[in-house]
Amino acid sequence: MMPSFARTAEVIGVAFGLLVFLLLLVSGFPGSAPAIEGAPPLQDGTPHPVEGRGDCLACHGAGSAKPVPPSHTGRPNTTCLACHPAVPAAPVDAPPRPSPENPAPSAPPQSFAVQGDAECMACHAQPLDLTFANGQKLSLRVDADAFGSSVHGGKLGCGDCHANISQVPHAKTRATSLREYVTAQYEVCKRCHFANYTKTLDSVHYQVMSTGERNAPVCTDCHSAHTVAQPNEPRIKISEACGRCHVQVYADYRTSVHGSALRAEDNKDVPDCTTCHGVHDIYSATSASFHLSSTDLCASCHSDEKMMDKYGISANVLQTYLDDFHGRTVNFARQEARTIWTDKPVCVDCHGVHDIKKANDPESPTIKANLLQTCQKCHPTATANFSAAWLSHYEPSLQKSPIVYLVKVYYWALIPMMIGGLVLHILLDLWRLARNR
Amino acid sequence: MNEHDITTPKENEPETFVRFNVSQRVEHVLLMLAFIGLCVTGIPQRFYGESWASWLIVAMGGIETARLMHRFFAALLVLESLYHVAYIALGLLRGTQEPHMIPRLQDFRDALNMLRYSLGVAPRQPKFDRYDYRQKFEYWGLVLGNLIMIATGIVLWFPVTMTQIVPGELVPAAKEAHGGEALLALLVIVIWHLYSVHLGPVHFPGDISIFTGRISKEKMIEEHALEYARVVGITGDKITTSLEITPSPSAGPEGGLISPEREH
Repeated sequence: MMPSFARTAEVIGVAFGLLVFLLLLVSGFPGSAPAIEGAPPLQDGTPHPVEGRGDCLACHGAGSAKPVPPSHTGRPNTTCLACHPAVPAAPVDAPPRPSPENPAPSAPPQSFAVQGDAECMACHAQPLDLTFANGQKLSLRVDADAFGSSVHGGKLGCGDCHANISQVPHAKTRATSLREYVTAQYEVCKRCHFANYTKTLDSVHYQVMSTGERNAPVCTDCHSAHTVAQPNEPRIKISEACGRCHVQVYADYRTSVHGSALRAEDNKDVPDCTTCHGVHDIYSATSASFHLSSTDLCASCHSDEKMMDKYGISANVLQTYLDDFHGRTVNFARQEARTIWTDKPVCVDCHGVHDIKKANDPESPTIKANLLQTCQKCHPTATANFSAAWLSHYEPSLQKSPIVYLVKVYYWALIPMMIGGLVLHILLDLWRLARNR
Repeated sequence: MNEHDITTPKENEPETFVRFNVSQRVEHVLLMLAFIGLCVTGIPQRFYGESWASWLIVAMGGIETARLMHRFFAALLVLESLYHVAYIALGLLRGTQEPHMIPRLQDFRDALNMLRYSLGVAPRQPKFDRYDYRQKFEYWGLVLGNLIMIATGIVLWFPVTMTQIVPGELVPAAKEAHGGEALLALLVIVIWHLYSVHLGPVHFPGDISIFTGRISKEKMIEEHALEYARVVGITGDKITTSLEITPSPSAGPEGGLISPEREH
C-alpha cells in the first residue's frame, strides 16, 4: 500500500508541469529573438559572396529572377548589406572538372543551385566581364534575343552547353587567357555535333592546334557561340568566315570569277572555300597529293557539260589538258608516289589559285597577252612562238590548229591503210603456200 | 671489200654466203635495242589513259625516269642513224658498196608479179636480187619513219629552243606525228617484220642471217636468185632455167611473169 505523502507529491508534480507548460505557451519558446515589424528574421547574411558584386539590384531588382520582397522597394544597393551581412568569398581555386572517378564536389556551403535560364539571364543580360590573368576581357553578357533567333534558340538552354556550371557563384575558370578559355570551352559542341567534331580532328586546323598553336580555329571561331546561324545563308558567309583569318586569300577570292559571282548573285554553281578545301576535315592544300589531284577538283565542275553550257565554257578542258604534255605527265605522276611534288603545272599553276579570272579577262594569266609571261614562270627563255604551242584547251580542227588536225587525220587514215595492205599481202602469201601443198 | 665474197672458190661452191658484214650486224642489233627501248618507254606515253600504260610507266620507275630512258634510246637511235648514213656514204664514195637498196622499176614489176603468183595467175614467183621489193619497202619505210621520229622528237625534246625557229603550232603537230608514226612503226614491225622473218612458214622460227651474217646456198638461190647468179657468174637464159629449185607442184594456171622485155 502506498503512503499518503507520496500520493500528495505526485499531484503537486503534475500540477507544476502543467503550470510550466502554460507559462511556456504564453511567453514563447526560449531563445527566439523578438519579432521586428516588416523585417524577416535574419539568418547568416547573404546567400552568396558579394565580393566584386556591388550592384545587388542587378540580380535582385524588380522583375529579376530573385527579386527583393515588395517591402524592400526603393531601397538602394548601399543599404542591402546593413541587414544582410556579406559572407566571405568562395575559395579561389576552381574545383577540378567533374568526372566519373572524381565526382563534382558539393558546392561551397554558401552557394545555391542554378534553377533555370532566367536565373542565368538575371546576371548575364547585364554588362558583365570576365578578366583573365593576362588582362584580356571576355564579355559575359548574352543577348537573349540574338540567342533566341540563333539555330539553337528555343532548342537549347544555357545549361545544355554550360553543363559544368550548376552553382552560383560559378567555379572560377583556370584559364589564364581568353584564347585558353575559348579552346577549352569549344569542346561542349561535340556533345551534339559529334560527327563534325570528329572530322575536325582530321583537319589541318587541328593539326596546327596539336602543335600547341592556340590560335588554330575551333568551332566557335567560325560559327560563333551564342549567335550560331546557318553557315551558308547566304553561301558567301562561309568564305567570309574563312577570310577572317585567311585575309589575303579571301581578298583574292572575292574578286575572282568564282567569288564575285557568289557575292553578286549567290550563284549556286561557283565554289566557296569549302567546296575545294573540305568543311570540317579541311585538308592541307600545300601537299603534293592535293596539288596532284587538284585537277580532278576543278574537273568536278568543269567537266560537267550541263553546268558549263550555262556559261558557254568548254567542258572538255580536262581532256585537252590530259592530252597535252603537261597533263600526261601529271596524270602519270599521280599514279606513282603521291608524295612527290610534280614540277609540271596543274590547272591552278596557270590559271591562278584563288584569284582565278575569266579566260577573257584582261587580267587573266592565260589570256593571250599574258600567256607568254605565264609560260615563262617555268620556261624562262620561252618566246612568243612557244606559248603558241599550247592549244588553249581547243581540240584541233580545221579552224583551230589546222596543222595538228591534218597530221591527226593523216595518221588516222594512213595507219589502217598501211596495216591493212600488209595484212592482205600476208594473207595472199599464206593462201598461195596453202594451195601449193 | 666486196660484200658478196664467196667463202670458198667458185669451182667448189660454198654451202653459205656472207650476206651481212660485222658492221651491218652490229647496226641491226643497235637498231633493235633502240627500237624496242623506244617502244617500251614511248608507246605508254601515247596511250596515257590506259591502265596498262600507267602500269608500265610506274614499273619503269615513273614518268620522269621513263622519259629519261626514252631520250637515252633516242640518242642511241640518232647516233646509229648517223653512223648508217656515214657508212653508206663512205662506202659509195670509195666504191666498196653498191646502192642495192635503191628502188627500181623492177621492184614494182616484182610486186605485181608476186600478186599474180599469189592469185594463181603466174606460175612462178619472181626472182629477186640482193633485196626484194618487200625488204626495200621496209627499209625505206624505216628511213622515212626515222626521219620523222627524229625531227619531231627533237621538237618535243627542245620545245623552247625549237620554237625560236619554228612556229608554235608545230610542237603539238610534232607530238601528234610522233605518236602516229610510232604506232605505225610498231604495227609494221609487229605484223610485217615478224611475219617475214620469224612467223611466216618460210622462215619459221626465224631467219637469223642478220645475226650470223651468213645465208645458205639454198636460201640464196630461192630468195635472191639474181644476186646468186651475179655472184657465181651465171648469165642470160641460164638464170631462168638453172635456178628453178622450187617449182610449185601445182604451178597455177598458164601465164607468164611480167618482164621488162614484155612490157617494152
